[in-house]
Amino acid sequence: MNDDRSETTNGEGAPTLGATTTLAAWLVYAFLMAPIFVVIGMSFGSQYEYQFPPRSISLFLYWKFFSDPQWIAALWLSVRVALMSTVLALAFGLSAAYGLVRGEFPGKRLVTLLLMSPILVPVVVIALGLYFYYARLHLIGSYSGLVAAHTIYTMPFVLVTAMAGLRHVDLNLEAAGEVMGAGRLTIFWRITLPLLRPAIVVGALFAFLMSFDEVVIAFFILEATSFTLPVKMYGSIQFDNSPVLAAVSSLLTLFSVCICGIGVWLQRNR
Amino acid sequence: MPTDLDSTEIASASGAEIQAPAAGGRVNRYALFVLPALTLMAGIYVYPLWIVVEQSVHDDKGVLTIEGYRELLTGPLFFRVLWTSLEIDVMATAIALVAAYPIAYHLSRQTSRRRMVLSGLVLLPLWTSVLVKSLAFIVVFGDSGIVAAGLRWLGLEPPQMMFNRTGVLIGLVHYFIPFMAFPILSSLLQRDPSLEKAARIMGAGRLRIFWRIIVPLSMPGVLAGCLLSFILCLGFFVTPALLGSRKDVMLANLIDFYLRQTFDWTIAAAASVLLLMLSAVFIVLLARVPGGRKLVVEGV
Repeated sequence: MNDDRSETTNGEGAPTLGATTTLAAWLVYAFLMAPIFVVIGMSFGSQYEYQFPPRSISLFLYWKFFSDPQWIAALWLSVRVALMSTVLALAFGLSAAYGLVRGEFPGKRLVTLLLMSPILVPVVVIALGLYFYYARLHLIGSYSGLVAAHTIYTMPFVLVTAMAGLRHVDLNLEAAGEVMGAGRLTIFWRITLPLLRPAIVVGALFAFLMSFDEVVIAFFILEATSFTLPVKMYGSIQFDNSPVLAAVSSLLTLFSVCICGIGVWLQRNR
Repeated sequence: MPTDLDSTEIASASGAEIQAPAAGGRVNRYALFVLPALTLMAGIYVYPLWIVVEQSVHDDKGVLTIEGYRELLTGPLFFRVLWTSLEIDVMATAIALVAAYPIAYHLSRQTSRRRMVLSGLVLLPLWTSVLVKSLAFIVVFGDSGIVAAGLRWLGLEPPQMMFNRTGVLIGLVHYFIPFMAFPILSSLLQRDPSLEKAARIMGAGRLRIFWRIIVPLSMPGVLAGCLLSFILCLGFFVTPALLGSRKDVMLANLIDFYLRQTFDWTIAAAASVLLLMLSAVFIVLLARVPGGRKLVVEGV
């Protein structure tokens, strides 16, 4: 499995290179994973301050979180925004992916670049643009405004997974449908879409997570009275440093773990 | 030695190549499926960006002005922040590259099953909220954190590691390692294993094979990873705001400052346009390098 050991003496530094890179790799894995273990550990503390490792184990911080109406309101808003924008991103993104993979039209590369660009263009510029725009439309602080913003923000991810999925769909199946006299829409609904199910699930899960964790756009276009969970966390880290943050972070992390787990598992089964 | 692989070669090595059906005319009816998304993007993405451009040359009474740009480009603040941003950006990208390479190399040498599991260790931090990670860093690297305690135990006086440049770099490097590791991994996986074998038969040492074959062949991934993390870093907002000091204000924070502290829409918009133009240069560059083209133009 790991062919580092099979290399013995093959000139200068032969046996050490593999070992060195393996050691370096594990150190970096540890650095990458550290925050995850830290917040989970911290969340079981009972102190009114952060402590890692925690001195005692309790669910006090979780209880604090779930009994605070402000945190719950933030959580609820985040869930609603993420659900709605995921549905929209899926609808628009899947259709666009289908058009981009199967379609033939001038400027296709440019269109792809445009549709992918929200992940590369500085979020703060998008956020500022939406702020100006929504100020004109009186949509600052509105649910629909945030959903629309998160839809374009998460769509690139749906697009990537759906396009990758579509490239693996056997075209003969679609051709068979066409021979049988099915229209393009029927083929899309009855043949292509079911074959794409794993890609769609992965795209949806990660789109949800992206919206659920998004802070900059929400920070710009929400009013000071309504918060999504990340915006409330951002404020809390900056100003009051409430230990409840540890419980929120831990819950968010567990959520990420679940989604990544499902994602990896679905890819393995492909 | 083919250090610069042809981009089409890389693109076509990525798996099942399926030609679009009905490739007769230049336009086919499948193109219509793109329209809904395009309309949506025009309405709530392109138009707002256009408003930023428009706002940058109008004052709050709606009169045409270049005052915003003049103020930014003649005063010291903008250039100081620009310089800080570029400095932090280059350092974070360089450190992330050094940290990500061993991971990519390690992953490339595993069986595909083991690689799937291990890449979870990179994927999971990538999908963890940046706020969660920031909080963890504040606690771990803070004055009374576990790292400082460890250093004291060793008899060392711990330096300040949070709310300064070090803090920002820790946060950013952590954020960018996955974006660096995956493009490098994908170019490492595309290399022809027989090249290494041939070199070994010819008597090349492991180190020589690494530097003369593996590293040059992974350059497309390195380039794509560096550009990607450079671009993402340019407009980064959260990490400098939470883990840095006033001296580590980056471009995105400057825009936020003009909007929220001085309420100057024109100058905030002008700074955004400059940031956007700077990013655009590197995005276009990314779309032209092989590894990046796959990501942003072909969508794989």
